[in-house]
Amino acid sequence: MQLFGQILVNGILLGGLYGLMGLGMGLVWGVLKIVNLAHGALIMLGGYALYFLYTKAGVDPFLGLPLAMLAMFVLGYLLQTLLLNLIVRSAQLNTLLLTFGLDVVFVYMAQLLFTADFRTINPPYAGKNISLFGVTVPYAQLGAFGVAVLLAALLYLVLDKTRTGRAIRATAQNLVAARLYGVNPKRIYAITFGTGAALAGAAGGLYGIVSQITPYIGVTLTAKSFVIAILGGLDKPLGVIGGGLVLGIAEAMAALYLDPTYTDIISFGLLVLVLIARPAQLLGRA
Amino acid sequence: MNRFRWLVLPVAAGALAAVPWVTSDTIVQYGINALLVATLAQSWNIIGGFSGYPSFGNSVFYGLGTYGTAIAMAQLHWSFGSGLVFGAVLGVACALLFGIPILRLRGPYFAIATLGLAAVMSAIIATVEIAGKNIGLILPLFRGDTLFYELSLILLVAATATVAWIARSRFGVGLVAIREDEDAAQVMGINTTMYKVAALTVAAFFSALAGGIHAYWITFIDPASAFDPSLNVRMVIMTLFGGPGTVLGPVLGAFVLSAVSEVLASQATGVASLFYGIVIVAAVVFMPKGLLDVVQGFRESRWRYFTDNIRRYRL
Repeated sequence: MQLFGQILVNGILLGGLYGLMGLGMGLVWGVLKIVNLAHGALIMLGGYALYFLYTKAGVDPFLGLPLAMLAMFVLGYLLQTLLLNLIVRSAQLNTLLLTFGLDVVFVYMAQLLFTADFRTINPPYAGKNISLFGVTVPYAQLGAFGVAVLLAALLYLVLDKTRTGRAIRATAQNLVAARLYGVNPKRIYAITFGTGAALAGAAGGLYGIVSQITPYIGVTLTAKSFVIAILGGLDKPLGVIGGGLVLGIAEAMAALYLDPTYTDIISFGLLVLVLIARPAQLLGRA
Repeated sequence: MNRFRWLVLPVAAGALAAVPWVTSDTIVQYGINALLVATLAQSWNIIGGFSGYPSFGNSVFYGLGTYGTAIAMAQLHWSFGSGLVFGAVLGVACALLFGIPILRLRGPYFAIATLGLAAVMSAIIATVEIAGKNIGLILPLFRGDTLFYELSLILLVAATATVAWIARSRFGVGLVAIREDEDAAQVMGINTTMYKVAALTVAAFFSALAGGIHAYWITFIDPASAFDPSLNVRMVIMTLFGGPGTVLGPVLGAFVLSAVSEVLASQATGVASLFYGIVIVAAVVFMPKGLLDVVQGFRESRWRYFTDNIRRYRL
């Protein structure tokens, strides 16, 4: 029973992080109608950004996170303005292919610049933990989970309360109508993609604290982010965190009761099941 | 000129067939790789180019062909021919088994499902006892680059002939209809599910055979190399670069890009892949219909061809 509790807690802590990954994916998908296959690569880049902030500049990872997010926001903003806006109206096949190409570019640039070595962001408190009812909770994981939930709540507030957030939601619902009401779609698209990239960057940084980063972590994370975004619903930030929890717990259980090598197989099985089980209904109003 | 057009292809194929007898071993080895990857591009063209379903998981069929041949030859001591058949059966079976559920998905849902399959397939194979787990398999040694070269060429010609037939047949028209508007195609009485599964199965068949030939040529396989996801990058980009949904575009794209990447690969690892990524991005933005269309469009409108492409799709 205690082991079960421990696994459950591990799954929940990992799931929060997964949720954060799904958040950026779902936001970009819902608003721009682009499924960003480079999302995992953006997560990876965020991880490296935080890694170098910590190792080269000595910034505490949790304090450095906003900086890494800002850098990723700028990258995303520029990508959208300079590149994605050029093809945003073409067939979905083309947007998929373009982001797929971007993914390849990022992965191999990272390989050339940062080498393929495993990197971990290892702050002094990384090994410390707290015991609650016999369940061990590492501080770093707990912090990552807290940040993920905080960012989801923040995104919810921004989308719901601010003028820009409302413009984003209006664009998602009806681009033409939003335009008629004075929304500048180029700016909104760039801000949205930038925000998606910043969230991916945050997820990548936290991933670097609790796990390892290499240039190649992106592909599976893209697929996972996609499942989570569907599970949670594209326009519901808190629902997406819930989707992340489902996946995190499923993986933790699979690692315990089957074998650690099966975790990716399980999450892939879940992926196919979720996809086949009529995504339109899961998405609500899609 | 037009009167002799039909001669161009047989002459080109004949010239390619003569390569092992007139050039060096290095060129033949490079040629085998180029022919096999051109076959993969041509197979991807059937599902990705004609029916417009962006599969990022065709490397799985190639890998299964590789493993089928290797298991048959190394574990069961079958001949190379039966090994190839076994590999092709595995690839086709996977296409049917996996294609029927996921080809009901469209656009991004389909793309992600194939991406996921490609990402986990090597992990799945690494748990199978008869496939040598994660250590891999060693095939009987057979040195005969010329044979492998000619086999690869025959396979590419067969794949291209199949695509040429598809392009003219009712089947091919149905696939293009699915690409342009799947709902309309269905209303017009096309059994879209059957068409799509058939397209994926044909693609899987040729990809698996390419894998089988490569396995016996290279004689050692392991999960990481057989299910190398970067193969997907290459087949997609070569088709896209040459001209998706055309008969000769993928072959042209594969030959041009193989030559360029061979030069780049000698510089540093990863540079060639980086180049592929940049080509995908540039191709989607400037020439979404591929090299063949550029040749035609450029004759008519010169440099405006590229700006017109952008103007059409930008926000």
